[in-house]
Amino acid sequence: MKKYVSSLLILFMASTMMAMAQDDNISPSRKQAIDSLALEKVKDLSKYISIIGSKETQFSEATRVMDRAEELFAPDAEMGVSSVNRSEIAYYKIRRYFERLMALNYDRVNISWYDIHYISDLERQPDGRYVGVITIYQRFEGTSQEAGLNYRDTTKKDITIYVEKKQTQIAGRTIEFWDVLLGDVRVTETSA
Amino acid sequence: MRISIVSLLLIFISFHSSPGQTFNSSGQLEDDGRFAASTKQVNQFFRRFNAEESKEGNIRYYPEDENYRDRDLRRNFINILFDNETSDVPVELKREFINNVTSESYPQYLRFHGGDWFAEATTVFNFEGKKHDVTLFLKLQPEGLGYEWVIENVNFEPFRQAFDKPKGDDKKFLHPLSHELGFMNLRKAIQDNPKPESYTPKDFKPEYLTLFIYEIKKGRLKFETVKEVKYHFFQIDKWYFELAQFNRPGFNTGWLISNLVKLDDGDKEVILDFIYEQR
Repeated sequence: MKKYVSSLLILFMASTMMAMAQDDNISPSRKQAIDSLALEKVKDLSKYISIIGSKETQFSEATRVMDRAEELFAPDAEMGVSSVNRSEIAYYKIRRYFERLMALNYDRVNISWYDIHYISDLERQPDGRYVGVITIYQRFEGTSQEAGLNYRDTTKKDITIYVEKKQTQIAGRTIEFWDVLLGDVRVTETSA
Repeated sequence: MRISIVSLLLIFISFHSSPGQTFNSSGQLEDDGRFAASTKQVNQFFRRFNAEESKEGNIRYYPEDENYRDRDLRRNFINILFDNETSDVPVELKREFINNVTSESYPQYLRFHGGDWFAEATTVFNFEGKKHDVTLFLKLQPEGLGYEWVIENVNFEPFRQAFDKPKGDDKKFLHPLSHELGFMNLRKAIQDNPKPESYTPKDFKPEYLTLFIYEIKKGRLKFETVKEVKYHFFQIDKWYFELAQFNRPGFNTGWLISNLVKLDDGDKEVILDFIYEQR
């Protein structure tokens, strides 16, 4: 529901700004609305990661959720993963990252998210699109009874967001709105 | 004394609890303050340094806001923007810096597009079948409708070793009447001498960035990964500082000032030479 409210809010704001169609600057209030929309997408991603990582999720369902999760991202987005002991980044395509998550050999997997996030300013890139970064923290716990394995880590996820002004036709009127797409994600294991 | 007690308490907490033991009403893990305290992005470093966000980091202050660049808030923020565990920035120097940048008559702020700051990325490339560290120096530049990071300089040991111009008697030369023979002695000079840089002007400096790009295009230099990134700031008048990322337990984490130098005339060039040439 919140997702739709945010989307409508963005749409509303965009339509009220139609007179300023050429003005591509992002005002503080518009930035707040974009942040909300971006955060909703990040929350969707978090939810999908939890479903994909859960052992209780059927293969067919996990595949469907992976498709949905992939739709949140720009086509060439990658995950860059490093750990406390290994600072070098290992690169994975988004789909590959999800597949690896699904294939983890734990009987029980629990993924939870911290109540803290940080949203950067939006910076304009050469093609006119805006780019920002949202930082969130994730706790992963995996238990394998047979191997007596108990693994736990906390990772910081720095998620790129691309913000682009788009147009759509509603009842013959051209309405501009801001769309958000996720990009590369930097995953860093924390010492916490 | 009060500071010592608070520090001890923080250390005690950091050893005896791990974050995320409790959940809030929406099912999320509750941060015990460590992630909130951490300077999570370089962007947050800028905002904290300038006092352009709330203490918790959840409210962005704009020029029309009452607390925007508030001096007391700034002083508190900058105080926590130093690495207090591994870097040896003297307390007096730190105090002088804070007083300087938050001075009432001439406060100084960091500007993202203000220039005079750049990134140093330690990367790994495969070159002739072996992994090598390559240090890339990147800066922000305006381009098209916005900005982009570009590679401005490269430091790569095999390139440095390849250009070792001999001096004095060891230096071969093309004698001053070579032109009368149509420079036929170039054959000996270039084919037989392993140091053709001997025949370059006094002010010759190899351009490593061009070489670097050429080697990548020829497929001999292949990117593997990024190991570490830090930033060098010369934006504050008469000061230099280094910004590095600290991933460790406790509250003094994230992007923090790891080195601070007060600059006299000519010091900037010395530090820049050191940064570019040290490896």
